[in-house]
Amino acid sequence: MILELKDYVGDMKRCARCSLCKWPPLAQMKSWRFSNNCPSIARYNFHSYSGGGRMALGLALAEGRLDEITDELLNIVYRCTACGACDSSCKYNAELEVLWPIYSTRAHLVGMGYLLPEHSMIIESLRKEDNTMMQPKADRGKWAEGLDVKDLSKGEKAEVVYHAGCLYCYDPELSAIARDTVTLLKEAGVDVGIRGSQETCCGSIAFQLGFQGEFIKFAESNIDDWNAAGVTEVITSCACGFGIMKSVYPLLGKEMKFKVLHITQYLDELIKQGKLKLSRSLSMRVTYHDPCNLGRKSETYVPWKGEEKKVLGQFILREPEKIVHRGWNGIYEPPRNIIRSVPGIHLVEMERIMEYSWCCGAGSGVKQTMNDLALWTASERIEEAKSVGSEAIITACPWCERNFKDAITEAGDNLMVYDIVELVRQAL
Amino acid sequence: MALRGDIYRLFESVVGPENISDDPAVLRSYMYQPFGAKEGVWADISPAAVIMPSSTEEVVAIAKICNRYGIVFKAMSTGWGMHNLPGVEGAVSLDLRRMNRILEIDEKNMYAVVEPHVICMQLQVEAMKKGLNCHIIGAGSNTSVLASATSVVGYGPDGLSMGFSGRNLLGVEWVLPTGDVLKLGSLGADSGWFCGDGPGPSLRGIMRGWEGAWGGLGVFTKGAVKLFHWNGPTELEMKRTPPNYVLKEPLRFFKVSLFSFSTIEKLAEAALKLGEAEIGYFISRLSPSFVGLQLASGANYVATWNTGMLQQMLKYAFLFVIFANSEREFEYQQKLLAQILEETDGQTSPISETKEMQEQTSTAVIKVDAVVRSCFRTTGGFNTSFGSMDTVDLAMNQIKAGTELKDKYINKGVIMDDGGDNSATLAFDQGHLAYTEMLIMYDHHDRDSAEGACQYLAESNQACLDKKLGPPIFQISQIGKGKHGAFGPACFNYDSWLRKIKGEFDPNNTSDPTAYASPE
Repeated sequence: MILELKDYVGDMKRCARCSLCKWPPLAQMKSWRFSNNCPSIARYNFHSYSGGGRMALGLALAEGRLDEITDELLNIVYRCTACGACDSSCKYNAELEVLWPIYSTRAHLVGMGYLLPEHSMIIESLRKEDNTMMQPKADRGKWAEGLDVKDLSKGEKAEVVYHAGCLYCYDPELSAIARDTVTLLKEAGVDVGIRGSQETCCGSIAFQLGFQGEFIKFAESNIDDWNAAGVTEVITSCACGFGIMKSVYPLLGKEMKFKVLHITQYLDELIKQGKLKLSRSLSMRVTYHDPCNLGRKSETYVPWKGEEKKVLGQFILREPEKIVHRGWNGIYEPPRNIIRSVPGIHLVEMERIMEYSWCCGAGSGVKQTMNDLALWTASERIEEAKSVGSEAIITACPWCERNFKDAITEAGDNLMVYDIVELVRQAL
Repeated sequence: MALRGDIYRLFESVVGPENISDDPAVLRSYMYQPFGAKEGVWADISPAAVIMPSSTEEVVAIAKICNRYGIVFKAMSTGWGMHNLPGVEGAVSLDLRRMNRILEIDEKNMYAVVEPHVICMQLQVEAMKKGLNCHIIGAGSNTSVLASATSVVGYGPDGLSMGFSGRNLLGVEWVLPTGDVLKLGSLGADSGWFCGDGPGPSLRGIMRGWEGAWGGLGVFTKGAVKLFHWNGPTELEMKRTPPNYVLKEPLRFFKVSLFSFSTIEKLAEAALKLGEAEIGYFISRLSPSFVGLQLASGANYVATWNTGMLQQMLKYAFLFVIFANSEREFEYQQKLLAQILEETDGQTSPISETKEMQEQTSTAVIKVDAVVRSCFRTTGGFNTSFGSMDTVDLAMNQIKAGTELKDKYINKGVIMDDGGDNSATLAFDQGHLAYTEMLIMYDHHDRDSAEGACQYLAESNQACLDKKLGPPIFQISQIGKGKHGAFGPACFNYDSWLRKIKGEFDPNNTSDPTAYASPE
């Protein structure tokens, strides 16, 4: 198994309880108003709802110090978008794993049989319908009806497979973006195909909720299918899918004969190569929201395995040296390059960006099961976007877009939300 | 010990159901602290409930319920350290996280009014927008502004130019243990926040004295702190340079230097002269170990340490920062500094001019954002010793005593070998006062190490008594419950005053006395 709580006891024991996990990296804090980094502690306030609080509870669980698993414990564990902001902030100083102990605590609880009913429904949908949306598998390919695109599940061959992901497949408002993406790729001369109704979930939500058996099943199946299809590249415009394929799939030890790319990386290259020419001016002041899974969570995770040695008396030296994933190597520039390529557009940055970006609120099943937390988190981001005078917020993940749109509708706000593909289509 | 249902509901009626909890998972997370000088990380005593008030009125109501029903309460701001937790069974924790507003920044009169959960970094970034800066304590900018000003020590190396938290405190709103509200300084005379000592009552000595009451005298709900002139940009842009973020552009008239001296006496002489010259922005002892850990990964640090290079270069060293307002002042300060170094045989350390040192230290000096890196990263457990505020000479004697004592425990292998002298901080208030702490790192999950650390801390406390080095900063409240009684007879029986104050202000002993004092 990938997620074992005992593997993180060393990290959890060395939590300094300094609360760095609650803020953006201190040197990057720019105002009081936007000085939180963790939606969960910002919303619920008890220390338990922070990265450090969850480490304390994970340690208590691992050491058998919690006598009972209460509903509140499950709230603490799951009212969290697993955005990884706590992790990036901690590593700036203490270099501890924070996010993976959170995943592992969830897996530990799932192993003990403690589940939230709402999560069971998502997993049931995965098992029965191969998607997290509680929709029929047979409808998965409907988004592409009428598109002249190869269907690899029917034996057709292509260099590149486009993985739409569950939300693009089933959300009627967003599926136009998946269609636009395929059209764009074709217009740029890319030999692209899809897997139609045979496409399955990437397993990201299962992994993040601690259902690692389900995750492994879907991840291995996807790898096998893509290998069998003979594609050289898997492109997705779902940041969640990209994040899990880049950061966790490699841990399964299966050969991946293909490269995983997010659509922003691909479009950035096509624009640089002159294969897509953005000529139409869009006079707009926009800001860009970094999706967590495209940014800080997309670094390939290398779990530390080795020996802790005491040197210099009590100095705990890890051999081999631990690789510290600070989130600095996420996909940050390609989306910004694309936006800057659009004539007339003025990109302004929010205060919390890149590895210390504020989450949209939708991740880790929160959108489906705790929509109030999701919408509150999104509303905070919308305020931040407005604070820099932005007319629109651009993102590169369907979950972010869905959640922002819902939050704006609920608030009766007028900020516009675009996926980066929509922007490119408008600028062509 | 569980809270009675009817009392729980009373608290709930004050703060709302979402802001109180007695769930075992919530309580367990509040018991975690890595400072314990014993094996493990869990406090022995669980709070009966955690309550999160959002206003003075709610704190008052909670205190009154506590007095009525004999419930002890203990307030915390950011909650870092064992002293934040209740020390008696059945007590409630007040987590002040929801009281987190900067109420005012008075640019003209150079002060800010804050609630308890405003951290130093939040205040600094807002102050800089107005050309102002705030003192940040040595523990880091992740700590509460108000807590160090009203309740817990308050020293930081930028105190050379920006004073000491206890002195920087102006008007205060104080919810007494009984639930009555007392307003101190100009606030008490309805004259705003500008002064801590009048018009209106000045009870600074009773309220906090030297080191504060550590949460044993009620709750401070609002306070004004002095701000200082900031000569840098209104926003500091950063760039990534592993392992930290560093300033994108160097600051004008800003110079970081590490100096080393042939003897500790020479170092002291230089510190005194710099104080007399009234120059500088920041001064701190920085041990070879502390510097090395700022700059290197674990393996690199160990490799470098084993060469002996760091120890040789930085044996008796301090970091000194000039931050001037003009070219002319910058030159003046540099000239004075050079003269003082010449008189004291001070040498610029070779490491001082390296790009890494300049970049990382400049950022750390202003932001005070990398303390955890040097203090907790190596072993997980950290504590500190000595720390009485007095003269530079006394600080040097503390360093000598601490180094000698630490060597014994380093040789036993129970604490980290950091060269013995891992003292931090030096002079403040433009050199009029001095202060130093002796840091120790240990593995609190290793029984021998935890017990060794505990013995060291007890012995260092005894050394403070035997060698007349003043009361230690942390140990009084952290592990040595009732240590005021041990130090009182050596210090004009101050402990009896604490007890009298406690008796007068808290007749029901409702505000947790564990880290402070019980009534006589």
